[in-house]
Amino acid sequence: MLNAKVPEGKIEEKWRNYQAQSRLVNPANKKKLKVIVVGSGLAGAGAAATLAELGYDISCFCYQDSARRAHSVAAQGGVNAAKNYQHDGDSVWRMFYDTLKGGDFRSREANVYRLAELSAPLIDHFTQQGVPFAREYGGVLVNRSFGGVQVERTFYARGQTGQQLLLAAYSQLNKMIRARKVEMFTRHEMLDLVVIDGKAKGIIARDLQSGKIRRFAADAVVLATGGYSRVFRLSTLAIGCNGSALWKAHKRGAFFASPSFTQIHPTALPQSSEAQSKLTLMSESLRNDGRIWVPKTKGDTRKANDIPEEERDYYLERRYPSFGNLAPRDIASRAAKERIDAGYGIGRLKNAVYLDFKHAIERFGMETVNDRYGNLFTMYKKITGIDAYTEPMQISPAAHFSMGGLWVDYELMTTIPGLYAVGECNFSDHGANRLGANSLLQASVDGYFILPNTINNYLAQALKEEHETTEHPEFSKVEQEVKEHIDHILAVNGCKTVDHFHRELGKVMWQECAMSRNKSGLQKAIGQIKKIREDFWTEVNVTGHSNELNTELEKALRLADFIELGILMCTDALDREESCGAHFREEYQTEDGEAVRVDDKYAFVSAWEYSNGDFKLHKEPLDFEFIQPSVRSYK
Amino acid sequence: MFLRKSIIATSGLFLCLFLIVHLSANFILLLPEEVAREAYNGYSTTLRESPVIKVVAYALYASIFFHVLYGIIVTYKNRKAKPHRYVVNRSQENSTWTSQNMGLIGMFILLFIVVHLANFWARVKLGIGAPVGLDSAGNVDVYEVTYSLFQNIYFVLFYTLLMIPLGWHLDHGLKSAFKTLGFYHKKGLAVVSKISLIYATIMSVGFGIIPLVVYFK
Amino acid sequence: MKVTFQIWRQDGPTDKGRLKDYEVDGLTEDMSFLEALDHLNELLVLKNEKVIAYEYDCREGICGQCGIFINGRAHGPHANMTTCQLHMRSFNDGDTIVVEPWRAQAFPVVKDLIVDRSALDRIIEQGGYISAKTGTAPEANSIPIGKDVADKAMDAAACIGCGACVATCKNASAALFTSAKINHLNSLPQGKPEQHRRVLEMTKQMAYEGFGHCTFTGACEVECPEGISIVNIAELNARILKARLLG
Repeated sequence: MLNAKVPEGKIEEKWRNYQAQSRLVNPANKKKLKVIVVGSGLAGAGAAATLAELGYDISCFCYQDSARRAHSVAAQGGVNAAKNYQHDGDSVWRMFYDTLKGGDFRSREANVYRLAELSAPLIDHFTQQGVPFAREYGGVLVNRSFGGVQVERTFYARGQTGQQLLLAAYSQLNKMIRARKVEMFTRHEMLDLVVIDGKAKGIIARDLQSGKIRRFAADAVVLATGGYSRVFRLSTLAIGCNGSALWKAHKRGAFFASPSFTQIHPTALPQSSEAQSKLTLMSESLRNDGRIWVPKTKGDTRKANDIPEEERDYYLERRYPSFGNLAPRDIASRAAKERIDAGYGIGRLKNAVYLDFKHAIERFGMETVNDRYGNLFTMYKKITGIDAYTEPMQISPAAHFSMGGLWVDYELMTTIPGLYAVGECNFSDHGANRLGANSLLQASVDGYFILPNTINNYLAQALKEEHETTEHPEFSKVEQEVKEHIDHILAVNGCKTVDHFHRELGKVMWQECAMSRNKSGLQKAIGQIKKIREDFWTEVNVTGHSNELNTELEKALRLADFIELGILMCTDALDREESCGAHFREEYQTEDGEAVRVDDKYAFVSAWEYSNGDFKLHKEPLDFEFIQPSVRSYK
Repeated sequence: MFLRKSIIATSGLFLCLFLIVHLSANFILLLPEEVAREAYNGYSTTLRESPVIKVVAYALYASIFFHVLYGIIVTYKNRKAKPHRYVVNRSQENSTWTSQNMGLIGMFILLFIVVHLANFWARVKLGIGAPVGLDSAGNVDVYEVTYSLFQNIYFVLFYTLLMIPLGWHLDHGLKSAFKTLGFYHKKGLAVVSKISLIYATIMSVGFGIIPLVVYFK
Repeated sequence: MKVTFQIWRQDGPTDKGRLKDYEVDGLTEDMSFLEALDHLNELLVLKNEKVIAYEYDCREGICGQCGIFINGRAHGPHANMTTCQLHMRSFNDGDTIVVEPWRAQAFPVVKDLIVDRSALDRIIEQGGYISAKTGTAPEANSIPIGKDVADKAMDAAACIGCGACVATCKNASAALFTSAKINHLNSLPQGKPEQHRRVLEMTKQMAYEGFGHCTFTGACEVECPEGISIVNIAELNARILKARLLG
């Protein structure tokens, strides 16, 4: 039975109660304790910097050439906080409710409440760190609204909020690097976790520049490795984003929760060719003022501007009158897919819908629209060559955020003692669907505020134990396994490229395990992915050596893990016979195509245990003490 | 870094001021000979005998010296910062040729200054070369030195043509000096940029036409 | 479409390096430049050759990891754009495209088109932050910041750290990069307490890393993907003067 270790008390008091009871480590002892942080995004850099400020000895790893590249950088729209600056009825409670409802009641109440509770101090924190949030002329902070809510609680820095928050975290990390409290390992990729006597005690990493395999020991390991939606190949994620650290931890005993809960973002740029490597996201904030539509006639070949108003179908406004274009992401994506599948899609490959700013420009004027979205319009023009001020944008759904991730308890600790997961790589707060502008929030709150308060509870114990060194036989054993794995891939010497297999995997995953899923499709997909795995291990060709900078080898290692992860995702989607949030099972829908949740059978978190190539399901029941799950309606 | 560039900028600005005075005086040469000779020689005698101008003169030598010295040091260091050149570099698409080649242009101007000093300063002040006579008012006849020099078409061409790189150098140098010394008012910089161009054009054309006018007089 | 890439191949920091020709067919105008290189790499794998090493991550112009000198320009022929935003429609069928790594003493080549830009991180390390610990922040609205100040700070803060300014500068100056970070932090009230120390130490590190002097060619602001203005460097100079006098 999974114990989430949720503290006693009323929901408003849980976090305070926890902090009051948690064990602490004496400042003089903290420097004797070593913590490894894998990942340097908002969660990783925030955790590394804050833990270092507390006095712990930190090693931080990232695969990029600098900590500033982590993909938190790409979040555009903003970060939510229950400040109620707009005096529009917002509160911690409302934010808690919105987030829980947005996640379709598949997340843990206590965690979600804590997320909302810590959101306000986070804005204070980032303002203090020099984030240039948007301001009114009078000097106070501005807010905008985001999908799935009816208040304005999103703080932003133009369309580059993620970048600004990440750079603040990166700055703070650098401050601690200079203070010699953090040692930064750039161009290092974690390839395995070392578990000694059931506890996480270190990692094996590959120096991507020299190809050298290196051992790192610590008293605790924090994974902050982000999402794994690159399993679909085409996604809004950075090309290097991967699920390998999670997967290796999973194989070493960490449970993987809700792996199939993947958010498909409604406003990405459509795929235009087979060679495409990435789907660029256009911020959801565009839906504040942009209107989404398709032509009312199937296969309409006219140019967008030639289609008169009465022949346009504003399908979101039609289906969801009260939220309209601001319907949550899962709903907006599915509605787009429904129109595209029905033959109303636009663009060269008929795989897109229009996002139109004509009315916004008429209403607010060019200048205001430019002030709000100028950089997004510029970006759109750079990529597509089209001016969105004069003709509507073409957008399309794309794989985006992983709500699933390693199962963690209230302390953000996985099922392996001493192994923590923070930010997108854990499952905790978003349930089956994440609300816009909640991901920067969760990553930051996890890294800055929660982990530094919970890790002491474990490390206070670790202090009394022996510190393992890299000389421990377990390190050499795991290192050997890693080396063999690499040699194995290099030895296949087949006739197909890594990208070929990634495209194959992506097609299966997108077809069967994305916006809508069904039993036979998922069963078929599992078979197909197993076949891809077999082919990969007999036909892939990775040129070059292991002891040099070898980008092809890096890709192959990541893909090998993605393939296995894909099987787990399909297994999870197959097991969950209900529709909730982003997980839409075609068998469970109303007549007008809305999701049907099955609370009496599936009000639990699926946590999967790896056992010899197979997966064993554990359930963490979701007891809603404070909120009654309702049918999630945005009509 | 900042100090080196500031020295170049400050000395450069001082030289820019000097050029204004120098050109204003040189315009005397454009007048008819009878007026010009007396006025020009009188002016140059006043300069040579004024103690204030002596101080200014030393500041001038120092400016030239430090401008060149630090110009060379900065160019050397900058080249060291970029030891490998690109096989293909289309710098003309993102910046002016002048701004890319201030060091090279500076070399031409240095060459000019050396020749110029040899032609005048060395003869008049150091007495090297043919002795210089006195005019009717008893002043050293610098006008004659100028006049005779510009009877030689090669010197005329040299003096005129080298005013082109001078103009380039001044245009980029003047506006850069302001930025180097920390003037960062956005609209102000746009004005400075225009002034630099106007200033450089006046200097270049002004100095450039004098030898021609004298030659054809 | 079909193009000829002339790509810089260099095995490691000590290798001499050379341009190598690759004729690539089957490209389309929709492809991004990096996708065209991906395509070439797949062809190389099929021929059992080592792939070309180049960097990228987000492929949407914000992470700053991509950076290639393409046909004589940092990030390719367009102004204010990253390499990953460049598409093949900017080239013509039959073109020859010369592809080189960033060049600067402070950016040693790691392999092929990959260079080491950690010098930029070390500049930030010397003061590109506000020394306030997590947990010490006052209420966000307690310090009003005018919209003009916030906007100006944001203009400078937009830097993605790609190093195009250094790559395109004939002096390999990192003045635009350094000034952007300093002006971002120093213009905000939160950054004021340590403003002079920040200026002095970051610029000292910039010189120490071997970047050249700024001579205001203006190439940097043209190639900067975020269009960060060169006026930032002038402002930095004013700050240096102030810091030297008051710091």
